[in-house]
This record gives sequence, C-alpha cells and structure tokens, in this order.
Amino acid sequence: MVRGHQGKLTGQRSMIETHNLVKWYGPTLAVDRLSFQIPPGQIVGFLGPNGAGKTTTLRIVTGYMPPTSGRAVVANFNVLTESRAARSRIGYMPEASPLYPEMRIDEYLHFRGKLHGMNRTDRVRRIDELCARCGLDQVRRRVIGHLSKGNRQRVGMVQALLHDPPVIILDEPTSGLDPLQIVQIRHLLEELRQDHTILLSSHTLTEIERVADRIMIIRKGRLVADGTTDELCARARGDARITVVVMANSGVLKTELAKIEGIRQIETTPHDGWCHATVVPANGADVREPILAAVTAQGWRVREIKRREVNLEDYYLQLFRELDE
Amino acid sequence: MKLTLIIAKRELTSLFCSPIAYLVIGLFALGTSLIFTIHFSPGARAELRGPFTGILWLMIFVVPAISMRVISEEFRSGAIELLMTAPLSDTQVILGKWLGSLAFLATMMIPVVIMWLVLELYGSPDWGPILSGLLGMLLVGGLYLAIGVFASTITQNQVIAFLVAVFIICLLTIALYFLSQADALWRNLRMALDYMNVHERFEDFNKGVVALNNIIYFISGIAVFLFMAVKILESRRWR
Repeated sequence: MVRGHQGKLTGQRSMIETHNLVKWYGPTLAVDRLSFQIPPGQIVGFLGPNGAGKTTTLRIVTGYMPPTSGRAVVANFNVLTESRAARSRIGYMPEASPLYPEMRIDEYLHFRGKLHGMNRTDRVRRIDELCARCGLDQVRRRVIGHLSKGNRQRVGMVQALLHDPPVIILDEPTSGLDPLQIVQIRHLLEELRQDHTILLSSHTLTEIERVADRIMIIRKGRLVADGTTDELCARARGDARITVVVMANSGVLKTELAKIEGIRQIETTPHDGWCHATVVPANGADVREPILAAVTAQGWRVREIKRREVNLEDYYLQLFRELDE
Repeated sequence: MKLTLIIAKRELTSLFCSPIAYLVIGLFALGTSLIFTIHFSPGARAELRGPFTGILWLMIFVVPAISMRVISEEFRSGAIELLMTAPLSDTQVILGKWLGSLAFLATMMIPVVIMWLVLELYGSPDWGPILSGLLGMLLVGGLYLAIGVFASTITQNQVIAFLVAVFIICLLTIALYFLSQADALWRNLRMALDYMNVHERFEDFNKGVVALNNIIYFISGIAVFLFMAVKILESRRWR
C-alpha cells in the first residue's frame, strides 16, 4: 500500500462522508437528506428494497452525478469540487458492470489502468495478480462480449481494484454469480478489509451479514437503520425462536408448553402425526431445557428441539413491516 | 493530453472492431471510385478538383456514420458510468472521442491517395492543389465529426444521432447555398450566408489556396461543436 495515497490528511476520522444528500429526478425524490460517515477500514453493507435510492447514493459518492443538495466527501476530497482527486481514490463497480463488449479482457484492463495513470510494469503486475485471484486466468484473451455474466462481473471487480484505491464502492457485486464465485468474492473482500474502506450494496442479506462490519438500511431515500449486524438483530422484537417437534396432540402440547415460565407465544401445526411447535420465549430466555423436561415427563417421542437466532432477514422484514404500517 | 490520447486510441481500435466501420469504409471507397471514374477520361486535366467536390457531397452522409455511436453507445450500454467516474475530465472524453474518429477518417481517405497515384501514372498532376485539397477535406471531415460527436451526446439512439448530424451539416451546406441565392434577402446577409457555407470555404483549398481565414473558419467551427458536446455531456450528469 502506497503511503499518502490514503487521503489529504492523516488521522482522519472518515473515508466516506455524506451530509444531507438530496437527489431529485424531476418530481421524484430519490435520496432524502442522507447523512453518514464511514471510518477507514470498515466494510459497510448498503441495503434496501429496489428503488430505495441505493444506486443513486453510490453514483453521487463516486462523482458520477451531482446531488441536488448536500455534499459527499471521499478521502477528504469533495466529490463535486475536487472531483478528479476524489475519483482517483475510488474503485467503483457499477451495477451489471457495463464494459466495452468488443474489447478483450486484457485490453480493457490495460485501458482502465492507463486511465488511472499506471505505468506498464504496474499494470502487468496488478492485472496478473487480480486475474489470478478472481479466477479470470483462463479467459483473459477472450472478448468481453462473449463472457458469461459471472465472468463479466469479475472483470468489473478487477477493474475496480486495479489502481489499489483506498475506497472501494461496489454496486451489487454478487448478483449473477454462482455460490462458488460468491465465496471467492467474499474471501477477496476479507483480504481487502485491512487497508481499504468498502461500501457495497446488495439484495442478498446472508451475504451482507457475513461480510459487512456495519449495515445501513435505506428506504425511500432515507436512512432507517444503521449499526452492526448484532446491534440490528438485537433490536428485532422477540429474538430467538425455538422449534419443537414431538409426537403428540397439538392441543395437549400447547397446554403443556404454556405451563412453562418465560414463554410468550406458541404456535402449533400438526404434520404426519408429529406436532411442530414454534415457541417465542420472552426476553430472549433459553427455554430449551424446561421444554425437554416437560416433554419427557409426558413420555412423548421427541424429534427436535432447536433454537434459531434472529438473523438479519428477520430484522429486515420486521423493520419494513413496521415502517409500512 | 495523455488521457485524451488513451481515449482516442481506444476509440480507434473499437471503431475497427465494429461492422459499421467497414461498411462506411466500403461505401466511401465505392463512392470515391465511382466519382473518380467519371472524371478520369482521355484528354481531361490531370487534377483532382472534380473528384474532391464530389467526395465533399459524399462526406455529408458518410462522416456522421462514423461519429454517431461515439457517445450514444456509451450511454446505451451504461459504459459511460465507468468512463465518467474515472479521473478524467469531460473535455478529455469528448476530445479523445473526436480525435479517435478523426484518425479513422484519415485512414478512410486512402482511396483518395490511390486516385492520386493513378493520376501520377497517366499524367503529371500538380501536387499543390491535391495536397491543399486533402488538407481541406480533413478539415471538413473534422468539422463534420465535431457535429457528429455533438449529435451523439444528445441521444442514446445512434440513428437519431446520425440524422441530427446530417441535418446540421445540410443546414451548413445545402440550406446556406439556397438562402444565399434568395433575392428577397438583404444582399450583405446573403454574402455572409454564402461565406459560412462549408463548400464555399473548401473551394479555396481545392484551388490550391491555403488561406488562414479558411483554416480559422474550420477550427472555430470544430471548437464550437466540441464545446457544445462537452457542455451537454456535463449537463447529462445532472439528469
């Protein structure tokens, strides 16, 4: 990592900052007073439904389009007034990675490298290294127009990392990739974690949950949640759920389970002679053992007693259900 | 400047990868050859003035076909997003695109050089007017390409970009010719309109006169259209 490449000042607090960003597309409000700070070295997942303003926000931060009002600062450079300084410190992979279909991968990457002012030795070294890491070795001489979607995404990824920018912005990096390729990208992001600041948007909640240090959720252009995965999940009502599968009459099971202390809600469904019960404990208490004790006392056959933590998806769905009401 | 040349080089390579480019080259070669055969006859003067005038008419339709895709295609495919988030200015993008197309136009002129060689085989033409004519054609081509690049920034549709460019070029040639012939107009205005006609400006080059006013005419025309293209590209960021 080259020193001085980081930003204008050393010891800065944030690599990406926005202050009251607003973007109107004609009469439609896409981004509504969005403010956030991202400190160096953080991986931030940017979530939200389609049309929430994710891509618009990323486009403003990368300097592709100016905001209607407010400002965005990357590596201490204002993206509007010091645009080129800011842009040279950003690696950006747009959604659907739009590349030149008539060029070969190698040609294209050299072209991008040249635009970033890299000399030939650096370009060859970085392209070799990144193509190997992203699994593009075998196809480097191929014409981009003939590539599969996954490979095109990876070219977009390599292109964004080529000049080793301190700030990396990825719009839907894993869309269109197969599970194996997704794991590759995840490993790559893990490696980049140390000396890069990464902002990525995605629809795949499980993916984001694994990779991101922090999650920002936006809805109708406004930030509605911001925190680490654990913090957000802790906010979810009802936390863990316990699934119980026993051979019993569902009515009897329900009354027996209701006797246990610390249970807020029980739902039962009979299935093939087995009864499936979903138990929501109050205040996150772990009531697996009392349940087992109650069930064995009745002499029922037990198939499963399992506790499932609240994940990001539960929180996300709950958040949007509440906001819609 | 370096970044401009990088864009220009990519544009040129990419033009040679597209089927439109070869169609344009073929069409231009066919057109110039046909024009040349009319003028190439025993007893005729060993000069290229006639063919050059004909080629100038051909350029009205051929040159916009080169430039129609330069920016519109970037917007259609979305590739513009990566170009405009790279650390280079909008002026460099436009200038690079124009220079790349100009280099393509220069290679397209090869049939004209062949015509010259044929003339050299059968007679002894005067080099002066031929060289100045070639320079004039390059300037006309540069102006038409600037108009084409400008037209290409206003739409995602290549066909519309082509037609808009042809329309503007027709205004600068055919429309100005007719207006300058209209008796109803004030005489000085007619002279001014005649002066602005691209074909009139080219005639001097064709005669072998390389006059500074004509060069300034073309260079300022190119600058005006490229400047408008840069401004439109900038304004598209705001939409």
